[in-house]
Amino acid sequence: MSHNEDKEKPDSIQRRKLIRRLGAGMVGASLGIPVIMSARALVPNALYEKPLRFKAGQPEQFTQGPTFIADQGVFVFREGQAFYCIGATCTHLGCTVQIVNVGRGRTQTIEFHCPCHGSKFRADGTNFDGPAPRPLSYFRLDFAPDDGQLVVDLSQQAEKGWRLSLT
Amino acid sequence: MPDTRAPKRRFTLRDLTWTWTPRSAREAGDAVVRNFYLHWFPSKVNKRSVAATYSFWLGTISAVLFLLLTLTGVVLMFLYVPSVERAYGSIKDLEYAVSFGAFLRAVHRIAAHLMVAVVFLHMVRVFLTSAYKNGVMANQNRPLNWYLGLVLLLLTLLLSFTGYLLPWDQLAYWAITVGTNIARAVPLVGEETRFLLLGGHEINQSTLIRFYVLHCVFLPLILTLIFIWHMWRIHKDGGLASHDQAALKAKAEPDEAASAKTYTLMGVSGGTTAAVQSALVQEDRHLVQSVPNLVVRLLAVGLLTLAVAGVLAVWLGAPLEEAANPEVTPNPAKAPWYFLWLQELVTITTVRIGGWTLNGALMGGVLIPGLLLLWAFLVPTLDRTGPATVAVWFHSRRRTANAVFLLICLALVVLTVVATFMRGPFWDFYWPWEQWPSHPSRF
Repeated sequence: MSHNEDKEKPDSIQRRKLIRRLGAGMVGASLGIPVIMSARALVPNALYEKPLRFKAGQPEQFTQGPTFIADQGVFVFREGQAFYCIGATCTHLGCTVQIVNVGRGRTQTIEFHCPCHGSKFRADGTNFDGPAPRPLSYFRLDFAPDDGQLVVDLSQQAEKGWRLSLT
Repeated sequence: MPDTRAPKRRFTLRDLTWTWTPRSAREAGDAVVRNFYLHWFPSKVNKRSVAATYSFWLGTISAVLFLLLTLTGVVLMFLYVPSVERAYGSIKDLEYAVSFGAFLRAVHRIAAHLMVAVVFLHMVRVFLTSAYKNGVMANQNRPLNWYLGLVLLLLTLLLSFTGYLLPWDQLAYWAITVGTNIARAVPLVGEETRFLLLGGHEINQSTLIRFYVLHCVFLPLILTLIFIWHMWRIHKDGGLASHDQAALKAKAEPDEAASAKTYTLMGVSGGTTAAVQSALVQEDRHLVQSVPNLVVRLLAVGLLTLAVAGVLAVWLGAPLEEAANPEVTPNPAKAPWYFLWLQELVTITTVRIGGWTLNGALMGGVLIPGLLLLWAFLVPTLDRTGPATVAVWFHSRRRTANAVFLLICLALVVLTVVATFMRGPFWDFYWPWEQWPSHPSRF
């Protein structure tokens, strides 16, 4: 009899341990899995956002200098027959910069100033004052194959000084 | 044969809620246990704990304000529509069409401003009296309550932030822009955090509904739970820290031997040392009955808080900027006063060393506030002055700690003042008496 008990005891302890662990696992899973599922549900799979490529207008319609395209937050510049696009989003914390005329007469030029934290950028987008860590972004332009409009592509950044020529 | 019938009493309306009235001090103490409304009070409290000059009742005022915010908030939820198209209109309706709508909204807003201020001052009080420390009673864990308090402060700020986004005016839109870009500046997880907060890459309907649920359900729920924990810890720690100071003082006084008795559950369940037992007895004459001494003061503080919030609401009202316009940033775009120190900080902390730049968004928006918070969490660990300084204002042994703390507070105040009064269009510096130039807008 005692011989039998000695043999059985470790088995039963192991069984209890196993059952306890299974129980704890079930409780953990029944709490943890719904939390993970809920958290994942809050990461959107489908987005309803503005397209990153859009038509900005016929090239001939642009006046010399900057044109602000308000709903997309970019400036399209025309210099003679060349075009380039600078983002209006401040590289510090994302407010929209505004054009400010500085200087008089021949030295008159424009700068971009940010209303939120006072970052200042030159006409070519270079940051020179305030907290902005980087120059304003340049974006690639293209001509639409169907109607020849200028197409801005916000998904493709360009180097500073990048130009698109109308030839 | 003895008469076993209960004595007859006339039934009054009061009997519906008030079934029993105490006839002695001891019964009054029992009353606290027997009455549902009073059961979370101690039967007796230290005179200093209820004195205005020790705590200024700042914690109580915060709790009353939170209650006021919850009640007005629930009414506002019936009238507000969390949709990009209709949110601003529903606020306009509150202001101009709903009976008492403007007042409700103003009370809600002013109570939120007051709560931020009072919760912060509460923390200042607890620091300057070093009430985050254990005293002489058994089973105390006051540092835990300091940590919980810090979390409550953060939750208060988050509630304010998520709250002022809901009107969907210019203030709201550009605050989300800047706020979530600060989140983006966090290394490694910043981009994902912003995506999750906005529910996408741009600010639209999914952003508004997220902040709405955070503001109305998620954050208040967490704040309520932690508030309950905060209160429960005060019970377990044997009341405010001033109890410990009273016990220490009593210990220093000549010991008149008396029978060991204790009024607190703490004393019974936690066990007390001989010294503390004697201190508790000595302390007896510093104690007063909670009913009415604590309860009446509590009601008075509560009513005064409501009165101040009501008067300020009528006086100041609640402003509303133009409807949110993603195309134009207001100039200057200023945060509410309690975040202006942060706005000023992210402005002045962009560091350039050689060709290498550290964005102010990361430095002033994440690292410096993070370090301040870390320091605040370490405060109980760093304090080695022992229980003698507990609950004493400006104790001479804590001169350095108090000086450092007050300097940090002063820095926050200076940043706030500069940002409030000395920042004009394009965040340029102007003295308060200088006229801002009017910038012609090209748009």
